[in-house]
Amino acid sequence: MLVRDLLYRWRALFQRKAMEDDLDAELRFHLDRLAEQHVRAGRPPDEARRLSEVALGGVPEVKEQCRESWGVSWADALIRDFWHALVRMRRYPRSAAVVGSSLALGIGMSVAMFSMVDAVLLRPLPFPDQDSIYVIQKADPLAGTHVEELAYPELIDLQESIPGFEYVAVTPTSLYGYARVLETRTADPVQLEASPVSHDFFRVLGVTPRMGREFTDSDERVGAPPVVVISDRTWREHLGADPGIIGRTVRLSGQGHTVIGVMAPGEGFPRGAALWVPLGIDQRVIERRGATFLQAVARAKPGYSRQQIDSDVSALFRRLASEYPEAYSSSQLAIVTPLVNYWTGSARIHLWIVLGASLLLLTAAAISSGGLLLSRAVSRRSEIATHLALGAPPRRIFTQMAAEGAVAGGIAAIAGLGIAYLVIRSLVRWPPAEIPRLSEASLDLNSFCFAAGAAAFVAVVCSLAPGWGASGMRLESAIREGDPRSSVSLRASRARDLFVLAQSAVTFVLVATAVLLVLSYRSVAFVETGFANRDALTMDVTLRGPGLFPAQGFDASTRHAFYSRLLQRLREEPGVTSVGAILLRPLAGPIGWDISYEFEFEAGSWDGGARPKANYEVVTTDYFKTVGSPLLQGRDFDSRDSEEAEPVAIISETLADQVRSAGHTPLGHRVRLGIRWSAGWMRVVGVSGDARYRSGTHSGAHIFVPMLQAAQATRHVVIRGPRPRQELSTLVQRVVKEIDPRQNAGDPLTIGELIDRDTARHRFNVILLLWFGACAVILAVTAVYSVIAETMAARRTEVAIKSALGAPRSRVVRDLVVRTVRFAVLGLAAGTAAVTAFGTLRLDVFRGTSARDPIVLASVAAILFVVSLAAAIWPAWHATRDNRRILLREG
Amino acid sequence: MSGIDLPQGTLDLLILKTLNLERQHGWGISERIRQVSREVLQVRQGSLYPALHRLERRGWIRATWGVSDNNRRAKYYELTPAGRRQLEDASASWRQLSAAVQIILDTA
Repeated sequence: MLVRDLLYRWRALFQRKAMEDDLDAELRFHLDRLAEQHVRAGRPPDEARRLSEVALGGVPEVKEQCRESWGVSWADALIRDFWHALVRMRRYPRSAAVVGSSLALGIGMSVAMFSMVDAVLLRPLPFPDQDSIYVIQKADPLAGTHVEELAYPELIDLQESIPGFEYVAVTPTSLYGYARVLETRTADPVQLEASPVSHDFFRVLGVTPRMGREFTDSDERVGAPPVVVISDRTWREHLGADPGIIGRTVRLSGQGHTVIGVMAPGEGFPRGAALWVPLGIDQRVIERRGATFLQAVARAKPGYSRQQIDSDVSALFRRLASEYPEAYSSSQLAIVTPLVNYWTGSARIHLWIVLGASLLLLTAAAISSGGLLLSRAVSRRSEIATHLALGAPPRRIFTQMAAEGAVAGGIAAIAGLGIAYLVIRSLVRWPPAEIPRLSEASLDLNSFCFAAGAAAFVAVVCSLAPGWGASGMRLESAIREGDPRSSVSLRASRARDLFVLAQSAVTFVLVATAVLLVLSYRSVAFVETGFANRDALTMDVTLRGPGLFPAQGFDASTRHAFYSRLLQRLREEPGVTSVGAILLRPLAGPIGWDISYEFEFEAGSWDGGARPKANYEVVTTDYFKTVGSPLLQGRDFDSRDSEEAEPVAIISETLADQVRSAGHTPLGHRVRLGIRWSAGWMRVVGVSGDARYRSGTHSGAHIFVPMLQAAQATRHVVIRGPRPRQELSTLVQRVVKEIDPRQNAGDPLTIGELIDRDTARHRFNVILLLWFGACAVILAVTAVYSVIAETMAARRTEVAIKSALGAPRSRVVRDLVVRTVRFAVLGLAAGTAAVTAFGTLRLDVFRGTSARDPIVLASVAAILFVVSLAAAIWPAWHATRDNRRILLREG
Repeated sequence: MSGIDLPQGTLDLLILKTLNLERQHGWGISERIRQVSREVLQVRQGSLYPALHRLERRGWIRATWGVSDNNRRAKYYELTPAGRRQLEDASASWRQLSAAVQIILDTA
């Protein structure tokens, strides 16, 4: 029956014409029969027809009652209301445009931001039961390091002493330097990021290859035949999606590897890995506790909580520190991070902030649109009051307003989805910063639901207040327009005051947040990084040979010969000003070589305690000159610093200060490195300016040793010259190939780009927030302006009389604006309270400033106050100019 | 025209009952109710059609266009199985109601 009922109503709604025709014919038949009766009774046909219509009870009335029986009268009313709403929009095209575009902007921005947050943060990773996967690292606060790495033996420790883990695996902390050169017969060799992993790695992640198998412990033995698991992307892009790839041999950095598996798409962990190789195939890696370059990933058994893991792993690390005091610092701590948080890192807070800001913008847009619709309701007050006086229930007025809000919300949602689509497309096309999974952002079902929710929210805000205000309008007050107190219903004016307050509060929060972010960004981005030559180009020229570690296949003299020749050749090229090489280029990431050091004056004083650590770099002659890092004292490395000569080092200013404060001269002082001080003493020959090597926010101490005296290979070329960067990078690639055709130079980035990349997320945040803040200010100005303009329109007679009676113009204006401005100020106060409360969260993104900084808050409040005041005074001043004429016209 | 106005809700019952005999158009239904009740019950003709449409929406009667005795197109209503069940239910409760009212009237 329900189905039939619905079908009937459906027909009544959508086949209205046929229903009406039927009804017409049916009643016509009845009337004809009635009329026939009357004619038979001797009445003339005209009267017969009239009598029969009377007997039926009025054709229009009967028809209306029948329509009610169809069960769609509510829909009829709704359609009528919507139609009227559209008609009114056409009648006031300017305010419709303002409402439509501000709402569309608000919805569009928030939908775009939501889609981004959804793709990056909310959508689960491609790993089943992702919440039980953890990344385990170490930190050593006393040594001043943020991340300490693990060594392979600790994998065994974790597996054996923590039964709560189902699987544990280790992998290097960064992809840095494990790339392999894939030689295909068809194309040029390509450099692919590779991640060495211990054999349970994929079991920890809970994924299985789409083809082939994952690693087993027999793949991870010293001397095991080399095998590789490749990513879906590698398989498609470089191996022609060969379905018979499993079991084939591919050449990676000159060594044949059997392909044993192909992973499913999207399962690139660590992010960017194009292939995975077994880790524990090197005797030194397996045995040495000092070979720290790893992090652990572990899958917890069900019910094993994060707190439990935290305390168990910390206990384990403490025990290891006491068992192996020569290997571990006693102050080392466990850092256990859920994989999801690890994955998104600092992008998390940035994304939440932009989503929050876009929602505030949406709120501001809804409030200002609601205010505009309310103003329009007020301008229609005589019409509405007449309706009410004639007995229209307030509910009807309310639904009319609701229809208007819903139409505005609906149109804005459609336009907003268009805006969101464009914003998402451009964010994916030109990613503002390195944000994992950003490329997956799209307008999907979630986004549509979010847009619908936003539209509903907008519709409610836009219809509640005008409806509430309008349904309280009374005829008397509407008629007595001259009376200022009754010219607008009390409710309507109260609603308007609240709108001004809320709008001003929201605007304050947005602008203050934007200003705080700018200040914080300024303190991060314009920090003295210590690299003056932003145009210096850096390139990855890691020597790659067979074996786990890329440079393993090369002895020191081969490496040195290669690099010396490379630098020599480049130096001789025209258009190259200077060229050098370094182990890890600046700002490449938070992970680097942290190494303990000890100056001569403090030798032995660290026994048993935590030793401070410094960033360790291997550089060549001219490196400092190329990147523009000043040498404050002493000299650069040069040809004197050969393998046989006395070991030397250059230290950064921070370290030099330590030496100075101990009463020694840095130049000529000696320093040694490493846990067992095996490297021996090195003479300090230079002091370099402080520079930021890990990230713009972390200053640190640095120790540089010359390439020829270091056990580690340089991996990056830095080059500078008047030639365009493209030419420089082609040049380096060409020369590298000429010296050794199996090698490859990749990943060209200038120092400037490295600095920008380091702060890109922050900058992205700042730019968006500034935009949102600017939009909010415009909305607030429009809102205040329209309230005053509306008041002016309603009170122009009163104003004209006042002026005519000799009231000074300034006083008339003051009377008009004081109320609105007072509520704007209250809103600013509310906003200040909100931001101050928010400030207690002490978010890292506000580094270098404080959300409770009174100067910042006061300045923002003052500026917004001036802007609101101007927006209020302008229309009032403008309108009081021609009072006499107004009065005459009105008169 | 004298007669008793229909109590609330009885019009539906009368329509169903009338249609139980044969399919009929609106005019026919009103004529028939008048005749059978010996002109006692006066169906307000204007309220007949909303009632018919409501019953149709509920699925108790079905409407088809047909040709009337004077060769004109007319909208005929007929009972559906659901309408027949509804008629039984409604007549039963009507009988109960009128019997109860009768008892009260007799004894009081």
